[in-house]
Amino acid sequence: MSPLEIIILLPILAALAVWLGAPSRGTSLAISLVNLAIVATLFVQYSGQHVDGKMAYQAAHTVLTTPHIQFAVGADGLSLTMALLTTIVTAAAVWCTVDKERIYYTASLLISAGALGAFLSTDIFFLYAFHELALIPTFLIIALYGHGEKKEAAWKITLYLGVGSLILLAGLAGVVWLCSPKGALTFDLAQLKPFVGKDNAAWWGTYCFFTLLLGFGTLVSLFPFHSWAAPAYASAPTPIAMLHSGVLKKFGLYGLIRIALPLFPGAIHTPWIQQALLLMLLGNILVVGLITIHQRRLDDLLANSSVMHMGYIFLGLASGNALGINGAVLLMFAHGISISLLFLLNGKLRNQVGTLEFDKLGGLATNAPFLSIIFGIAAFASIGLPGLANFAGEVLIFLSTFQGFDVTKGFTMLQITTILSLWGVVISAVYMLRAYRKIFFGAPASGLFVSDPTLSQRVPMFFLSAVLLIVGCQPSLLLNVIQSSITAIGLK
Amino acid sequence: MNPLNIELGLGVLGLLLLLAEPFLSSSRKVLAYVAIAGLLVALLTLITSGGSMSVPATMQEFYIADALALFYKGVAIISTLAVIIISLEYAPVLNKFVAGDNARGKEAGLGEFVSLPLFVCVGMMVMASAKDLITIFVSLELVTVSFYVLVSFMRRSAMSLEAGVKYLILGALSTGLLVYGMAWVYGLTGQMSLDGIQKALVNWKGDNTPLLFGAALVLAGLGFKVAAVPFQIWVPDVYQGAPTPITAFLSVGSKAAGFAVLTRVVETFTAKGSVIGDQVIQLLLILAGATILVGNLSAIAQTNFKRLLGYSSIAHAGYLLLALACVHQHSLAIAPRNIVAFYLATYLPMTFLCFLVLSAAKAQGVGEDLKSLKGLGHKSPLLGLALTIALASLAGLPLTAGFMGKMFVIFAATYESNYLCLALAIIGAATGFYYYFKVILTIYSTPEVETEKIRLSVLSKVMLGVFVAAIIVIGVYPDAIQHVLVAAVK
Amino acid sequence: MIESYLPILIQALIASGFAGVTLLLSVMLGKSSKRNAMKDSAYECGMLPLGEAQPRFSVKFYIVAMLFVLFDIEVVFMYPWAIIFKDYVNTIGHDIFWSMMGFVSILLVAFIYAWKKGALRWDN
Repeated sequence: MSPLEIIILLPILAALAVWLGAPSRGTSLAISLVNLAIVATLFVQYSGQHVDGKMAYQAAHTVLTTPHIQFAVGADGLSLTMALLTTIVTAAAVWCTVDKERIYYTASLLISAGALGAFLSTDIFFLYAFHELALIPTFLIIALYGHGEKKEAAWKITLYLGVGSLILLAGLAGVVWLCSPKGALTFDLAQLKPFVGKDNAAWWGTYCFFTLLLGFGTLVSLFPFHSWAAPAYASAPTPIAMLHSGVLKKFGLYGLIRIALPLFPGAIHTPWIQQALLLMLLGNILVVGLITIHQRRLDDLLANSSVMHMGYIFLGLASGNALGINGAVLLMFAHGISISLLFLLNGKLRNQVGTLEFDKLGGLATNAPFLSIIFGIAAFASIGLPGLANFAGEVLIFLSTFQGFDVTKGFTMLQITTILSLWGVVISAVYMLRAYRKIFFGAPASGLFVSDPTLSQRVPMFFLSAVLLIVGCQPSLLLNVIQSSITAIGLK
Repeated sequence: MNPLNIELGLGVLGLLLLLAEPFLSSSRKVLAYVAIAGLLVALLTLITSGGSMSVPATMQEFYIADALALFYKGVAIISTLAVIIISLEYAPVLNKFVAGDNARGKEAGLGEFVSLPLFVCVGMMVMASAKDLITIFVSLELVTVSFYVLVSFMRRSAMSLEAGVKYLILGALSTGLLVYGMAWVYGLTGQMSLDGIQKALVNWKGDNTPLLFGAALVLAGLGFKVAAVPFQIWVPDVYQGAPTPITAFLSVGSKAAGFAVLTRVVETFTAKGSVIGDQVIQLLLILAGATILVGNLSAIAQTNFKRLLGYSSIAHAGYLLLALACVHQHSLAIAPRNIVAFYLATYLPMTFLCFLVLSAAKAQGVGEDLKSLKGLGHKSPLLGLALTIALASLAGLPLTAGFMGKMFVIFAATYESNYLCLALAIIGAATGFYYYFKVILTIYSTPEVETEKIRLSVLSKVMLGVFVAAIIVIGVYPDAIQHVLVAAVK
Repeated sequence: MIESYLPILIQALIASGFAGVTLLLSVMLGKSSKRNAMKDSAYECGMLPLGEAQPRFSVKFYIVAMLFVLFDIEVVFMYPWAIIFKDYVNTIGHDIFWSMMGFVSILLVAFIYAWKKGALRWDN
């Protein structure tokens, strides 16, 4: 049995145990930490042994003969990075959930299992299926225990993600059809061959790629299919917001890198697809960015900023070269950590202060210096300050778009987009710093009582900020494995 | 072994139970247990000797025992088993609406309520094997006539009577259409057996309009039975009014048997070289698209769980028809008839689970409105979990059985390039997310009035366990069903 | 072909002729010009045509009537069976006998059931 199967199954079994009456926080926390330990060990082991970036720890069990579907797991640098992100965020999310109903823990564990399954499957059927597994708990928790307009937010996320998944399914049907070896339909990623359409058949590839882009894009809140994300994150209880925005949303990007880009080589460079993608991601960065500036509540602001930052990752993919994709993966990891830390702090403030409106907050740094430091780290990371994880990713992405820049020909559309996107950094600096100042500095608002969290509650915050700092200062820890695997799956 | 023996055995068992009913002095539940035992024996016989079934030469003209037939026979037996188990839960309600003031004992009607499903089962099993217009008609009528009685069984409930009358009138109308269509087909081709009709269709010379007319009438008649739009109008009222176990039976058993016949008929009409093949496929596509759309969109507004399941049953019929319409696709390496069979096999456990919970709830005084199901998930976590899994499967979430069925249909439609129907299927599935999730949400929200915990008998718990396991096993390991189907093709 | 329908034609002629002749004779021989209220009223098998337009009958009538129809129809199946019985036994075998026995015994079960359930009782 592959260790990967164990780390997928453990949270599912734990979720079932918790649901049927096992001590909820103890079981969940123990399993999350065990999973984190296993994944970290595998990551270290992999980066030591597999410099070629090939799949490792593989195992497969056939579940359907025709067409060929198997429960197959395997991990390379790309999926291990994502698995590491998942287990880190899960551990933090479960740790910070105290004295809640069983359903919170069950849901967190199921979302974690779904994400791990999606990142570690090497069969597109299970890759798709595990992502959907996380949909029910997300929906239920938001609808039952969310804040504000919870029902509307829950329906919106369910229907958007439901339709997105179905479009994705149609796209995957196309992948299986176009890329399977002759005469035998298969869902096995290892057997699917890159599609080479001759002349008249070539448009099949581009349309299939575009369907995948729309399907996966909806899951990642690509503009203009993004309107589910902000209300859902603003409404979701803390652990769910952390897990969905930090981890699960990255599934769409992961799918694009794992399935769409390698199987339809060159499709991203098709002019109309690239132009469409660039327009959409500019929508994410500029339109949503401006919307974010106008938010008057911390939860709305974080939710919108999470949508906005997806634009940078898409920019990395749109560049279509290995450098940009490396940057995108690194940014996926960094964004996952930073946004979940922000949502964690958001939850703490909501519990303690009872309001998240900027106008009613202020001066919290006096009584809660620890909170203010951690929030600072997370906010700076999110803006993309050097020395924190997000910076490395963003720089790589911006650089990648200038690869092969020809001074004599001037800027291409890709480079113009990059230049416009750089304004996004300014926008995030504006809203993040303003939020930071309004909440933690200035005149203390009357009637607010806030104190630093207990020692045990500081652990997840400390842990997440440590990850941000370490990866920020030493991105090669991740980049080495990511790069070799990106090369190995055929992206140049 | 002659496969007809199982049907005959079950028929005789039904008659004996009917005969025993007036003479029996002890509890009527004994009859139900005997029926369950008999059905289990039949199922076991079917499984153990399924491979060695042989049809005598005199019967081969009208009776076939291929893998598909054996599969649908199994579906018929399992659904009858489930119906009788659910009936045991539902017995108090049944008794309330059947027994008069001066009734002998408290179990009036329970005996008949056990033996009639056995007759339905026999009818469905013969339908699975029928390949001749007369056999199709006779077995279909055995099923339908038994259902007339079962639907209006609760004679002191106005709803049940209304359902009975509606079902009777529309059932008779559909039978009329079917027979009229059969008469046209027979009159034109001179053939009663499907094989003969197929040959005649391939060798047809001249105008094919009358053939098409007959075929369309046959499709319309069968469309009533499987609740395809525009022949679905009877469904909501009948589903709501009929006793809950019978609603479950209608929506699974009757539909499965209808599709068994429809599969054979459609394959005959669209056989390679058939002069009406393309038009029949067009008709099926129209039916499928309309059924998916109407079923799903109408389900959105429902507040009664039983009615909602009625519309959901229409919607699922749409996906099944879409699969049938892809009769010529071969890229998927799964024949459309097997996609249909697979879909029905996945549809069976999830639907029965919902109706089991509904029956038990009704028997303990909880209503059938969505509102009254509030808080179910908190009070009985296991039941809530089972219902959640069933609904997730109905909605078509991956790793449940329901997803595999939908996936095959979507893939078949993609490969057949039926893009309009594909789009409708996607819209329908997305709508499905809404109304099934609405129910899931309901069972986990806090109730307005405190209600009792719903209790289940041991038999029902076993059934619950088996069906939940089936949903997950088929969802994760679809080869389980596929093996049965592929084995049957060989 | 068409001449085989001749008996039907003759029967139809006899039937309508009998009715016509009877009516004609009653007009010719009877004192048709004498009319009174009693004579003009509808003839209803000797019963007084009075009472409600839609009287309610006991459900017992319907049950007995239905059972009568059911068991009456049974015989309709027996005529063609009896006609081909001899040929069939000679050429194919005894299956035909057991088929009809099966049919009759199913009806027998129904009969016993109806009897035991009290469908034939008139007094309650």
